[in-house]
Amino acid sequence: MAQKEATVYVLDLGRSMGEKRHGRSKSNLDWAMEYIWDKITTTVATGRKTSLVGVVGYRTDVTELDGVLEDSDGYDNIHVFSRPKQFLLSDIRELQDNIKPSSTNEGDEPVLGALAVAIHMIDKATEGKTKKPLKFDRRIVIISDGYGELDTSDLDGYVSKMNQEDAKYDLTLLGVDFDDPDYGYKEEDKDSVKEENETILKDLVNNCAGNFGTLAVAIDQLDIPRTKDTRAVPSYKGTLTLGDIRNYEATLTMDIERYPCTMIAKPPTASSFVVRAGLDDQAGAGPSTQSTATAAGDASGDAQLPGGDLSAVRNQRVYKVENPEEPGEKMNVEPDELERGFEYGRTAVHISESDMNVVKLETDPSFELLGFVPEEKFERYLPMSRTNFIVPQKANDQAQLALSSFVHALYEAGCYAVARLVTKQYKPPILVLLVPHIKGDFEALIDVELPFEEDIRRYKFPPLDRKLTVSGKVIAEHRDIPNDRLMQSMSDYVDAMDLSTFDLDDEGEPDEYMKFEDTYSPLLHRINHIIRWRATNNTYDKLPDPPRILTKYSVPPIDLIAQAQTHLDALKEAADVKKVPPKVKGRGKRSLRDREKPLSGLDVDELLGNPKRVKIDSQNLIPSFKQALAATDDLDAIQSAADDMSKNIKSLIRSSVGESGYGRALEAIRVMREEITELEEPEIYNAFIRGLKIDILNGSLQGDRREMWWRIRGSKYGLIDRKRSFASDVTEEEAAEFYKRS
Amino acid sequence: MADPLTDNRPGEEEDEDEEELDDSSYKTIKDAVLFAIDVSPTMLEQPPLPDDKKAERDSPTSAALKCAYQLMQQRIISNPNDMMGILLFGTEKTDLKDGDNTFQHCYLLSDLDVPSAQDVKQLRDMVENEEEAAKLLRPAAEGATIATVLFCANQIFTTKAPNFSSRRLFLVTDNDYPIIAKHDKDTAVTRARDLYDLGCTIDLFPISRVDHAFDRSRFYDDLVYPSSPSDPEAPVSTLSTTKVATSGDGISLLKQLLSSINSKAAPRRALFSLPLEIGPELRIGVKGFILIKRQEHVKSCYVWVGGEKVQIATGSTSHLADDTARTVEKGELRKAYKFGGETITFTPDEFIQIRQCFGDPVIRIIGFKPLSAASIWANIGKATFMYPSEAEFVGSTRVFSALQQKLLKSKRMAVAWFVARKNAAPVIAAIIPAAEKYDDNDEQTMPPGLWLIPLPFADDLRQPPDQGTTLKTTEELTDKMRIVIEQLQLPKGIYDPSKYPNPDLQWFYRILQAMALEEEVPTKPDDRTIPKYRQIDKRASQYIEDFGNAFNEVYQSAKKPGKTANLVSRKRGGASNAVKDEDDEVDAKSKPARKKIKQESKTQEVEMDLDEVEEGGLTDAQMGELNDRGKLSKETVGSLKDFLKARKQSTAGKKVELVERVQDYLESKGL
Repeated sequence: MAQKEATVYVLDLGRSMGEKRHGRSKSNLDWAMEYIWDKITTTVATGRKTSLVGVVGYRTDVTELDGVLEDSDGYDNIHVFSRPKQFLLSDIRELQDNIKPSSTNEGDEPVLGALAVAIHMIDKATEGKTKKPLKFDRRIVIISDGYGELDTSDLDGYVSKMNQEDAKYDLTLLGVDFDDPDYGYKEEDKDSVKEENETILKDLVNNCAGNFGTLAVAIDQLDIPRTKDTRAVPSYKGTLTLGDIRNYEATLTMDIERYPCTMIAKPPTASSFVVRAGLDDQAGAGPSTQSTATAAGDASGDAQLPGGDLSAVRNQRVYKVENPEEPGEKMNVEPDELERGFEYGRTAVHISESDMNVVKLETDPSFELLGFVPEEKFERYLPMSRTNFIVPQKANDQAQLALSSFVHALYEAGCYAVARLVTKQYKPPILVLLVPHIKGDFEALIDVELPFEEDIRRYKFPPLDRKLTVSGKVIAEHRDIPNDRLMQSMSDYVDAMDLSTFDLDDEGEPDEYMKFEDTYSPLLHRINHIIRWRATNNTYDKLPDPPRILTKYSVPPIDLIAQAQTHLDALKEAADVKKVPPKVKGRGKRSLRDREKPLSGLDVDELLGNPKRVKIDSQNLIPSFKQALAATDDLDAIQSAADDMSKNIKSLIRSSVGESGYGRALEAIRVMREEITELEEPEIYNAFIRGLKIDILNGSLQGDRREMWWRIRGSKYGLIDRKRSFASDVTEEEAAEFYKRS
Repeated sequence: MADPLTDNRPGEEEDEDEEELDDSSYKTIKDAVLFAIDVSPTMLEQPPLPDDKKAERDSPTSAALKCAYQLMQQRIISNPNDMMGILLFGTEKTDLKDGDNTFQHCYLLSDLDVPSAQDVKQLRDMVENEEEAAKLLRPAAEGATIATVLFCANQIFTTKAPNFSSRRLFLVTDNDYPIIAKHDKDTAVTRARDLYDLGCTIDLFPISRVDHAFDRSRFYDDLVYPSSPSDPEAPVSTLSTTKVATSGDGISLLKQLLSSINSKAAPRRALFSLPLEIGPELRIGVKGFILIKRQEHVKSCYVWVGGEKVQIATGSTSHLADDTARTVEKGELRKAYKFGGETITFTPDEFIQIRQCFGDPVIRIIGFKPLSAASIWANIGKATFMYPSEAEFVGSTRVFSALQQKLLKSKRMAVAWFVARKNAAPVIAAIIPAAEKYDDNDEQTMPPGLWLIPLPFADDLRQPPDQGTTLKTTEELTDKMRIVIEQLQLPKGIYDPSKYPNPDLQWFYRILQAMALEEEVPTKPDDRTIPKYRQIDKRASQYIEDFGNAFNEVYQSAKKPGKTANLVSRKRGGASNAVKDEDDEVDAKSKPARKKIKQESKTQEVEMDLDEVEEGGLTDAQMGELNDRGKLSKETVGSLKDFLKARKQSTAGKKVELVERVQDYLESKGL
């Protein structure tokens, strides 16, 4: 649930934070900031106005309280960078410039002073008009490297303040190289002052019921993706009934509510922008990784267009209809001449706005049981949606008791229920499967949508375990049917690769590997991760790889494969799978023999006396063209077939009334392009299409035929380039250039 | 609406950026079907009167027309952009609707096009009005030669559906040797090859006569090609599955023909063609097919009412830059993420890098688990059917078959890492085996293969809400309910989708068809998803009452003392209505009379409850319960306000104040 929250980061910026310790390549501060930036950018990414972030530095060169406290006495070397507010990208950038180690190492350790400032800041930001604390999650995260003298005079004061009933604080302290027995870390040759400070701080945090840990642990855990908690919204509140409650006496009625059980978490989507006018010509505008490719924007973050070098894009829709006066021509129509309707086949059915309900089935919210099916007879592939929980109405004991008995009865009978659900008035009814769900104390039904008759496509596929001949005889031995050896080795391999006991649970007992809870949506977290990373990295050479945890389940576990290796080898041998080499293509390779034959295997060409030359027949254009090419491997003959084809295509365009002949011409072009490519004579086609383009754009094919050119372009039937045929001398750039008008 | 610049063929080059990766990005191919129906004396013969009086007695031709009619209506729903035409051959009349008489004895009943309401009407009239039909269905003395029919189809496909990637000729005939001289056969064979070269498929629907079984090998095996030019790698179903419909048989000819035509109603096309990696360095080829998909009705569109005839307006979108309002070409668009009030962008190359860092498209098996690991509660979407393909790896079929059989036998499933396309988001999926299934007529109802079922990630799991109650069932209560469940099993104990047409979809098209034909709009929908109330009552009423009585007892004893009054006053809730019968039981001597009274009181009750739900929200008792558990502050402001409003209390102030007011109110009621 999206509770309001205020977090203040209290950062140690003393000179010692600038040092690199224990062989790390980063300074202590940079190392710590990895954690802080991750936290802050995660908050910024939510875009929530009720998530406030503040930042305080201590052991800084300057003292600047930004008016948090009127009297800065006793708060030396504390710098308030930001009071709690909704953080934006600009704030991140500003903070980046300010966070650097100071030259200060001396003097009293002002961490407690900084804590006091942080508490004060949060208090102010989270109180109501009447000075009463509002409902907020209050969090303080302290980073410290533990050097400096601590003033321990008022520790109890802090503890009681942070434990206040109406405004509790959640305190986290992460120490650089602090000892952490749970994690198994102990710093050797620890400075005695630091050791003492660690103890004091640990006591303080423990007294506040906070978290105390060493920074390394926190950094380690950064890679584990965080899942978002979403407030559950019911999609149906009403009754689940058995029987007709209006007309029959013995019926059952349960008050229930329906909440999401699974819901696919979608990665953030990118919106479309366009580079601002005027920036195009400037050097460095354009997509450069090195420049700041961000656009400054207004704080609201709404659809208002951001400033900077990107401009928002608006969509405009234009509607066209066939012009009644000039058949084959389209004309634009004004929106006020348009009304709602539906297509029935190619017939337009106009339905006025007020009549829109006539096509809707009249329904009322209801949830009715149809009957029951034994679970072992239910096919697992039928459910077609995400799932929902069906739970008793809130605080309704009767509903709870009734549903509980229903869930348990289903469970014990080994049955699922089928029910008809209408969630709102006029919504189409759906059929759902109801599955009992008992987990510890929690009892519910799970619903999932079932297909209707129209949702099933009845394609037929041949059997897999036997082969049928044309005459209907069954063959048991065939290269498509596995033999006993293959069956046995498959069986051994499947058994060896068992995941259900491959993992270990907390007690070290065998446990299921790759549970749902352990897998994280790779793309979702990849995109979130990279956006956050990009927000704090303005210059870079290359994008970081996805965190390992996101690819962990993309391959079988190495240990398991190693165990199963002998079975795998045996399976591979028994399977004897061979990769099909890339098609051997080209002229000469293709002969009449390879032509597809009808079911009977009849050689049609032989029947026709294997003609050497086939004339292109305009009435039978495409087949005769294909047959002409098949009959010869003489270049002149191919060229002449292509010329005939070209003539026919142009004539189709020339005689086209409006766009009526374009489809046929386009299909002929496609076939020609395909066949010629296969014959590896791309120049024949390229010469043709070049000429055709000129003819069309010059208007030499009876009038304005530009639409035909658009279609050729849209279908990408332009030049055959090197990528498509190695015999072509047209580069990819040239081919792309060809589509531009000139 | 289709972009006019893109034709119907899938692009040759891979589209670079795929943002949305659901089914909408998967364009179904456009399909054109031309029905060619033989009109000959034997095709027009009615079968002899069968023993079963109810059986339909259609002549083969009229059965074929009925099939065509049904297919046309069905395709308007399922493939609204696809074309269909009907060609009769062997008719006395010759008419191809273009004034041309080249093709003798061919009659184009409806031209190859996206069907219009008129086409549907015309066909219906043919089917329903036998006298009218008889005028047209008059066989010529010499039928049309099959070569003529094939060339006629060639011309129709070439002109009417030039760039449809799937073009199919459905040939319905009972004549397995429609030629006289050998020369005729040669011409037919040539014409059939032309059709094949044009990219059209011939689907033969042969009909056997009572006295003559149709023999494909006599003639048609020379005309029909084994693979479809539009999908050369699709597994070809074996010939024996195309049944020979027998005229005058026990099962009506119509049903048989319908069944074989239905299985070809939509052209089959693979959703993906991918390597299935069973283990490292062991890959086979599989194709994925969508066999289950929610069929929606067409979305409303804009129609132009400015002219004489209502026309569908086709829309196109152009992009404008917001700052200068200039038109922007697609290539100029840049993608950026909103973040912290600004945008974060990457170069196109980086976008590709971000999406494609998870490797190439593959279905990679990670290991195996028991079938139960794909619990139904974890479902997140529909399953995809997989069938082996030899196109990339020779031997795929036998290995796939071995895997399928092993998984079936051991009741296990595979867990796989699944990247469907280049830019697709990786998914973890379960691979579960499916056995082949048949109906009573040995027709395949579910093909054998493997199903790919997407599984949820931790991010996709939602926590159940806390409803604040803990009452648990008792053994007795569970048993009583179990009896009810056992009484009400669905037929054969299975959920059979073919028994449940989508009522909303059917209703939509019935209305739309009536409006398109300007006929009277039907008033009563045919909804087969409504429970069979009478049967439920007949089979289970007694047990439901038993349960109701037991429920009351358990409930009374489980309740906390002191709260009785409030909870009992609320009759609805979890109790069965049977409970309420108790009061009437004593004086209820004549059933009908009692029923009447009951109904009245029930109606009232329903109304009262509605009021309560709409205005009052939670009841006093429920609110009290929440208060007792200290969960009052978890209620939304809306629900607190509803509660207070219904009780004529003030709804002003902050949540804290609302909570206090609710508590005051509850206290005043002694809760």
